[in-house]
This record gives sequence, structure tokens and C-alpha cells, in this order.
Amino acid sequence: MSQVTPFTIDIEQSKLHRLHQKLDLTDFPPELDQAGSAYGAPLSDVTRLAKYWKHGFDWRTQEAKLNELPQFTTNITVDGFGELNIHFVHQRSHVANAIPLLFIHGWPGSFIEVTNLLPLLKGGQDEPAFHVVAPSLPNFGFSSRVSKKGFGISQYAEACNKLMLALGYDQYVVQGGDWGSIILRALGHYHSDHARALHTNMVLAGFPKPLNAPFRFIYSLARHALSGFLPTYTTSESESLARAIDWRFGSGRGYFAQMATKPQTIGYSLADSPVGLLAWIYEKLMGWTDDYPWSDDEILTWVSIYYFSTAGPSAASFIYFESEASNRDRDSTDKLQAYVDLPIGLAYFPKEIANMPRMWAEGLGKVIHVSESSKGGHFAALERPDVISDDLKTMFGKGGKAFGVVDGKSGY
Amino acid sequence: MASIRPFKIDVPDASLAKLKQKLELTRFPEGEVEDAGWDYGAPLQVIKDLTKYWVEEYDWRAVEKKLNAIPQFKIEIKVEGFDLIDIHFVHQKSDVKGAIPLLFLHGWPGSFLEVTRLLPLLRGENGKQAFHVVAPSLPNYGFSGRVTKKGFGLRQYAEMGNKLMLALGYNQYGTAIVTQGGDWGALIVRVIGTLYPQHNKASHINMGLAKEPKWDSENPKPEYTKRELRIMKEAEIWQENGNGYFAIQSTKPATLAFSLADSPTGLLAWIYEKLVAWTDEYPWTPDEILTWISIYYHSTAGPGASIYTYYEVHHDPKFNLLSVREYVDVPLGFADFPKEVAMAVPESWRKTLGPIVEDVKFERGGHFAAWERPEDIAGCLVRIFGKGGGAEGVVKL
Repeated sequence: MSQVTPFTIDIEQSKLHRLHQKLDLTDFPPELDQAGSAYGAPLSDVTRLAKYWKHGFDWRTQEAKLNELPQFTTNITVDGFGELNIHFVHQRSHVANAIPLLFIHGWPGSFIEVTNLLPLLKGGQDEPAFHVVAPSLPNFGFSSRVSKKGFGISQYAEACNKLMLALGYDQYVVQGGDWGSIILRALGHYHSDHARALHTNMVLAGFPKPLNAPFRFIYSLARHALSGFLPTYTTSESESLARAIDWRFGSGRGYFAQMATKPQTIGYSLADSPVGLLAWIYEKLMGWTDDYPWSDDEILTWVSIYYFSTAGPSAASFIYFESEASNRDRDSTDKLQAYVDLPIGLAYFPKEIANMPRMWAEGLGKVIHVSESSKGGHFAALERPDVISDDLKTMFGKGGKAFGVVDGKSGY
Repeated sequence: MASIRPFKIDVPDASLAKLKQKLELTRFPEGEVEDAGWDYGAPLQVIKDLTKYWVEEYDWRAVEKKLNAIPQFKIEIKVEGFDLIDIHFVHQKSDVKGAIPLLFLHGWPGSFLEVTRLLPLLRGENGKQAFHVVAPSLPNYGFSGRVTKKGFGLRQYAEMGNKLMLALGYNQYGTAIVTQGGDWGALIVRVIGTLYPQHNKASHINMGLAKEPKWDSENPKPEYTKRELRIMKEAEIWQENGNGYFAIQSTKPATLAFSLADSPTGLLAWIYEKLVAWTDEYPWTPDEILTWISIYYHSTAGPGASIYTYYEVHHDPKFNLLSVREYVDVPLGFADFPKEVAMAVPESWRKTLGPIVEDVKFERGGHFAAWERPEDIAGCLVRIFGKGGGAEGVVKL
């Protein structure tokens, strides 16, 4: 078993110095009169943040805060890609039979998103406890850079699965959003002897298939056909569908299209311009959350995790390319959204960018728990850790439909 | 009438000094995947080498001096609903009798520079048709002023182009574009033809954004040639793989502008990737590449401004990528280059654009045809506007 080494974030002073040199030289673009946020990140927001980054933001303070999270690294071998050094948060519960939970972030998130969940999953009273593992995905945070082509969703899943096994967790449950929600589908399909249950806050699902689910297909078809005339979708479903379409095919599609086709080209800017990176990420932090009261410190910490990442900020874009590239075969959207015979939990949040109707999501697996919240967005673990932890406790606690799903790890 | 002032490019020393500082502080990506080639974007070593050249060898002042040998001017133009914009333009008048005023419009990531190779070929030497050539920097590009309000789209660019020609005393003129493809010059030409047929008497384009005709017994669907099939296939690939820039520029230009304004290598990679992808194995020299990029980097409006064209056209309900496919009753010359693939269509579709007076297929050349194949473009213009040409005499001098 590969050695697990404690890890402390300690960015070299020279990198901080260089960052400040570059911030001092920032050239800002002009903005159209009354542009608002329609054209992208507003100039006043970005200049304010850049100024604070230069003069007020204290990375060492934030670094120390991050280092309160118990962090480690270990080497994981992914088939065809050699050894990758994986950074991860690992909070072990004092309850020996705590349920191992793998938490997978996405873009532009990171391991930091697990922070608000950690105190809620410790167990005690009558609540199940969890051992929480939150890695930095390869190419993100403080994990290695991937240097070969083809590191797709299967590879991310393999890395995550092997990490859990390396920590002695032969079976575990998974929670994820954004790329996490897609990687956990691959875990469900290809590693279901280890990944025993899945919970997601980004409910991507395909339209019901006529042969697999004839009733749901016909019902959904009728609803969809009539939706132009009658309110066959609930308000939240209609709004979610509209939001998803706008995200993927409308005003929100740009970043995805660029990163999925020419990640290296945009990578030069993201690596070289701190403010360029800031704007690229900030636009999503604002656009994808539900009135979340971001502090400037929080925003800049999120951005710094990309700026100071081991693989560099340009590497994170590659997951889009590789996922699209591998979408032709093993990790196609169709395959990943196909039924997986595992307990599934879904958390619907109103400002999530890509939620599909409940009836479609029934095809994802054995849906045992669905929560629907009136507030929250894409970064649910950050914005609504209460909902995520409640869902997990309900699913896996005593009386829960997935109680005891992990052999010998009841959570108590 | 607004006054025409001679203009010389003169980038301030401070700007050049700051650029050097920034280049020296460049942080490159940590690496790339093995054997990436161009699949993931501009390759790392290529960008590193160009950056090094930019710092150590590229001589902007020498380039500037050469450019300033070309006659350049500025004039303030008022476009309806917008503040006055100071328009930079090249203006080469011919001494030859019967010279036709010709408006050249570039696109993205091109510039007025693209006309420069055509200039000696359009003077009317050796009895060939002569032209007075006018090649502006579009607002937000090159050394023209910045657009400050929302909604500056194809109509506004067309109005600017028309007003510029009128201000120079050219009541009737032909339009031609320097770049092709989804490129703005071609589309602006089409709108000029729509709005100002009394002034714009003929056009020449190399971009085939056209609708499929309605096939019937009188107009049956032809069998597409091998060349056409290949180009259509490459256009599909472009839509799948080469369209990221289009998507982001059409939706969130302000977000991207922070990167393009602040990172010289970021801008370099962003543009250079297209200079390579869209040309027909054109042997770009480092000097050429960096001059093309410098015109963006040192532009009056800044490198982030030009990309707004994509957003404005995309959001314009009236003058957009669909409307420009409508028939415009202005004589139209077409030059078909093999590596011009973005939105390329078969020859039989081009009839829907207007009365085609000439449709020529070339064996070499791509998107920046006037730069790659100036003799071909000049040849087309001289032919269609000259004696016996399809647009002979349409421009009353």
C-alpha cells in the first residue's frame, strides 16, 4: 500500500512575490456603458477584487485556515498514466464504524468545498458518522498534473476509487456535484463493488428511454409535448430546464465550448494573468450561486487554489476536453446516465445550472431519497451543507433506506 | 464635414516598456500532454519560442516605420446612436484614370494590415484596372476608436464604412473584403449592399455564408464535387472543434477581455492558434505573427474590445448571421479558397446571395486570402471591375 503522507499547503514566497509583481502590472479592459453582467464579469467587481488581492488579501492567513483541514498526499497509479500524487482532505471520525464518504469536487471548485460539511458529518446523538475523504482531482488543487492524453471520466473514477482503497476503505459512499456528479456515475458503473451508494446535487439525466422505461418514456413525452400549452412541468422543473438549456446551449455555453476544444489555448491566459483567471472563475461563482454572500477573501481563496495549484491553472480545463473526447465511447453521456443498480440520493437546488426533471432522474438508479430546497445553487456543499448532510444522514442513518449499505460500517 | 488628418502609428515608449516587463514575467502553463500537437490548442514550445522572440528580437519600431510608409489617416465618423468615433484608415489613391474607389473591410483577428499586399497590385499598373483603396480599422480594432455603447453591430459597421467613403468623396464605390469566413468584413459588406445600394455598386467576397437553395425541377440539387464535400466536412469539424472562441466571444466577451487585455502570451496564443488553423500551410514568420498580434495588443481600444463584435451580432435581432444570407441585389464576385472552411457552402448555394458575376475556385489559400494569396484577390478585383468584367462600369466615376 502506498504511503500516506501528511500535507501542509505552503506556497513558496517567490510565487507570492511573482503574483504581486504581476498584479501590479495588470492592464484592465474597458467596459461598455451600463454593461451590467450580461457581457460577462463586471469591471467594477473585478477591479475591486484585484485591488484587494494586491493590497488586502493575505494568502498566508487563508493558507493557515486551509491547513486546519486534515490533509495528506499519496501516490496512486492509474492504468496507462503512471503514478499520480493525490492530495486529499481526510477527516476520520472517532466512531470506528463510521461510513467512508468520498466527496468529489468539480470546476471551478476544489477540496475546499468539503469544509462546511465536515463538522456536520462527525456523528453522535443518533446520527451516523462518516469518515470523509475529499481529494483534489488530478490536474486540480494540490494533486499532480496529468501529462498524457485521454485522462477521461473513467480515469478520474479509477483514481478516486484507488484512493479510497489505499486508505483501507474497501466500500464507501459518494457525494458530488459538477464533475463530481459525473465521476460518481462512472464509479457506480465501473466500481460498484466499492462505491455502494451515490448522492448528487447536480441532477443530470437523460430523457427516459422507450425500451428501458416505456411508461416513464410515454409519460415524459406527453408532458413535454403538452408543456407548450399546459403547465405539465412544475415551475421549478420548467425553470430548471430553461436554466440548463441556457447554460449548455445559450448564454452560458462559452467557457465549456472553449475548454472542451482548446483548453491549452485559454490555458496561456489563465496561467499568465491573475486577473484573467479571477474573472474567468468569478463569473461562475456569482452566476451559479443563489445569492451566496461571497466575501472577497473567499473568492480570492477559491481563485488562489487554482492560481497556486500544483498542475497550474491551465490544467484544470483539460477535464472538459477529455470528457468530450471520451464521450464517444466508454464514458459517453448515454452510458454514464444509464441505470446503475445502487441506492441514489438527489438534492435539487433552485439555482443549480443543470437539473433534469425528477421523472427523468428515476432512470439513474434506485432513487431512495430526493430533497428539494428553496434556496441553493451549484456549489451546494458550500451554500447548503445542511441539506447535503441531512440527505446523507437520512439515507445512511438508522431507518434510512441505505442503512448499512457499506459492509460493517453502519455509521454508529 | 469632419477633417481628414494624416496619421502615423506611434505606440508610446511606456507601452513598449511595460509590454517587455510583462513578457519577462510571463508564467507559462506547467506543461501539456504528450503528443498534443495542435489538438488541445497552441503548443507550449511554439508559444514559448514566440514569447522569447517577442522579448529579445522583435523590433516593433522597425515594423511601425514600415507601416507608416503606407498612407494612413484619421477622420471622425458619427454613427447613429453612438458617439463620434475616430476612424483610422489606409487610403491609397491611384493616379490612373478610371480608378474605382474600393472599400476593404477586415475581420477578426485581422486588421487593416491585410490590405497592404494588395496595394501595389491595385494601382492600375500595366493597363490593369486601377483602384482608390480605402481600408479602415473597424471601430474597436487597430487604431480606430473604441465603441462605448451597447449594440454596435453589422448595421453600425456598415454605416461607418459607407460614411467613410462618402466623406472621402466617393459617392459610388465597390466593396471588397480582405478576410473571409465567418468574418466580419464579408458580413459588413453584405449589409452595406443591403442598406446602401445607391453607393455600393458591387462586392467581392470569399466567404460563403449562404442558405441552401430550394431545389426543384428547374433548379435541381446538383451532385457536390469532391472539393465541396471535403470543405463541408471540414466545416463540420470546425463547428465541433474550432468554435470555442466563437462561443465565448458571442456570450461573455467581458470575461475573456480581462485575459486578453492583461496577458500578452494569452493574446498571442488566442490569435495565433487561428492564424495557423485557418490558413493553407502559410509559412508565418515570427515577425509576421507578432505584427498581427501587436496590432491587437497596441490597439487604441485595447485587445479585449474587438471580440465584442461577436456578442453584438449574435444578439442583434435584425442584422445577424441569418439575415446576412438573404439575397442582396448587388453584383457579387466570389473567390473560393480551399482552406476557407468556416461556414463554407457549395457553389450552387451561393446563387442565393445575389447576382453572381464571377465565382472562381483557387487551389491554394485560406481564410486570410488577401495575405496568403494577394495576386489571386487582386486578380479577381481587376478582372471583375475591369474591361469585360462582370462588374465593369457599375461604379459611375
